[in-house]
Amino acid sequence: MDLVNQSKLWSKIKPAKPTRLQQEARIGLLFLAPWLIGFVLLKALPILAALVFSLTDFKMLTPEATKFVGLENYLRFFSDSQAGASLFGSLGYFLVTVPLEMTVALALAAIFTNARLKNKRISQTLIFMTSIIPSTSIFFIFLGSLAYADRLFFKPYNLPPIEGFGLLLPFMALWSIGPGFLIMYSAMESVPNEVYEAARVDGAGPWARLVYITLPMISPAIFFTLVINLTGAFGGSLLLDRGYILSFSLSPMESYINTTMFNRAQLGYASALAWITFAVMMTITVLLFRSARRWVYFPEEDEENEV
Amino acid sequence: MKFNRKAARRSDASRLTLRLWDFTGTAMLNLFMFLFLVAYLSPLPFMVIASLTPRDQFLDAHAPILPSERVKFNYEGKDLVVYKVPTAEGVKHWALYKPGRTSSQFIDPANPAAGLIEWKGQWRTLRSVYEFKPTLQNYQDFLSIAKIPLYFKNTIIVALISEIGVLFSSIAVAYGFSRFRIPGVKYIFFLLIATIMIPSNITLVPTYYLFSGHVLDWIGTWLPLLVPHFFGSAILIFLLRQNFKSIPRDLDEAAMLDGAGPLRILISVILPQSIPVVTTVALLHFFYIWNETRLSSLYLGIAPNLQMVSFAVQRNQTYFFTPEALMVGALIVMVVPVVVLFLSQRFFMQDMIVTQIEK
Repeated sequence: MDLVNQSKLWSKIKPAKPTRLQQEARIGLLFLAPWLIGFVLLKALPILAALVFSLTDFKMLTPEATKFVGLENYLRFFSDSQAGASLFGSLGYFLVTVPLEMTVALALAAIFTNARLKNKRISQTLIFMTSIIPSTSIFFIFLGSLAYADRLFFKPYNLPPIEGFGLLLPFMALWSIGPGFLIMYSAMESVPNEVYEAARVDGAGPWARLVYITLPMISPAIFFTLVINLTGAFGGSLLLDRGYILSFSLSPMESYINTTMFNRAQLGYASALAWITFAVMMTITVLLFRSARRWVYFPEEDEENEV
Repeated sequence: MKFNRKAARRSDASRLTLRLWDFTGTAMLNLFMFLFLVAYLSPLPFMVIASLTPRDQFLDAHAPILPSERVKFNYEGKDLVVYKVPTAEGVKHWALYKPGRTSSQFIDPANPAAGLIEWKGQWRTLRSVYEFKPTLQNYQDFLSIAKIPLYFKNTIIVALISEIGVLFSSIAVAYGFSRFRIPGVKYIFFLLIATIMIPSNITLVPTYYLFSGHVLDWIGTWLPLLVPHFFGSAILIFLLRQNFKSIPRDLDEAAMLDGAGPLRILISVILPQSIPVVTTVALLHFFYIWNETRLSSLYLGIAPNLQMVSFAVQRNQTYFFTPEALMVGALIVMVVPVVVLFLSQRFFMQDMIVTQIEK
């Protein structure tokens, strides 16, 4: 439906005879229009609105009684130990799961590059498969397995039952290595063979080849995977989104914001919390991109300019 | 002559050891991968077994792990439980007729005509006999309470509508990013990448307010889940754009000389060459819609007849919280994405790799 409008507008532009470049830019912008409109309406304005909300005591049920309270919500964050704990919980989640995911994915990718491995395609699909299982299912499988273990082993042998969801995190992390694994595997496959042969001639063993050739050569892929995982840990959009689990979000900060918003209806404070998370996440991202210049190998600099 | 033979023999031997080593290495590698996969996927077969297990099986701590039922024997219109009874002539499978404190009366299912047998001992120490018997009872219970077909229908409708929206807009935008010289397009593209990383809860409060009764009044409808997709999805635009850029421009230019407009070029030059990536993107979006629970819980919590599978199952599962019922729910929710992945694995995964690595 957008396309029809665009083609109509395009024919309207034509008689005005602007220069070729101007015309091209206009048509291009028309094609970009859906996303640009969506960006303004659903991203830019809401983010700014959240900033405004965070400076007020906005409540959903009585929007007309809203007062400007300045930085009160932000100051409240520093005295709210639960919020601090949630934020650290989210960071901790990132620090625990991401290295685990990355290491396992990298190790598997390294094994997969070995020509002796048989049935690669089916193994690859099986490894990838767990990454598309909805979180609903994962959560139920986890709960059900715990209950079973309890019935079959813990109760009969009088062992203390496993409590809480501590094991769920590594379990879910291990079951989400699919995209990272594929990215790193294909990056390893595309490292030219001559490099390895040259290293072999120089007497480099498999371990040296992995550390000094493979890892630097696939550093862009590692970086990309790291960014994807970071995005996922803080609730950005994911390549494969599993959805989340009611009443128990894997990101403690996110569930705390939801509680503040829906159970306590304090939208102003919830917005402030969201902005704080956003700021923390952006700081980490910027640091990550800064550090990337040091350890990520970019073969061809900036393809963007040739467009 | 002698020397030559010796050398030949030695090289034969070394070739043999080399081949032996080669074989062992290959075998160990493949064995390792096999064991890894077994361990990695072990919860899945376990889930299937558990979902077929009768609910009261584990009330008896000595019950077998596989889905089984107690063997019963019908005698004079009553179902009697069969126990393993130790007797002077070895262990017998007898049905308990009349339990008593120190002695009980049993009946032999193989020979009921022989009448009641008196056995001395505490019958509670006996173990019952089980036979392998998977049950579909958990599935029946679950389906009778949750309106699963309705949820499946809802999911399919939402998936189709949003798929159309997201594909039309994302393809158009990706085409705009890949083929036109627009001043500052680099910065717009940077914005696009940045939006991928923006946490969703920063926009949650204002968008919820926008969709709530104060402004648009869309809560309890599908609109909050559908409309945003008509503006394109940043991550899909990124994947499509990477692919469109890799298509040589010669063909567009030839088409342009023939008088084709931009839309014509997109439809008859770019798209026919991008069928794999478009399918990949469509599948990614399908998985997203299938797994979506966040927005459903916000906007569809009050509309039980509009809910989609993952969210609805998650909600209804609280009615019966036994492990077997949980496994049924898990299986019902995950079966569709897994089957779709296996049907499309060949190009889905390859294409995902190719498009991403160009970043």
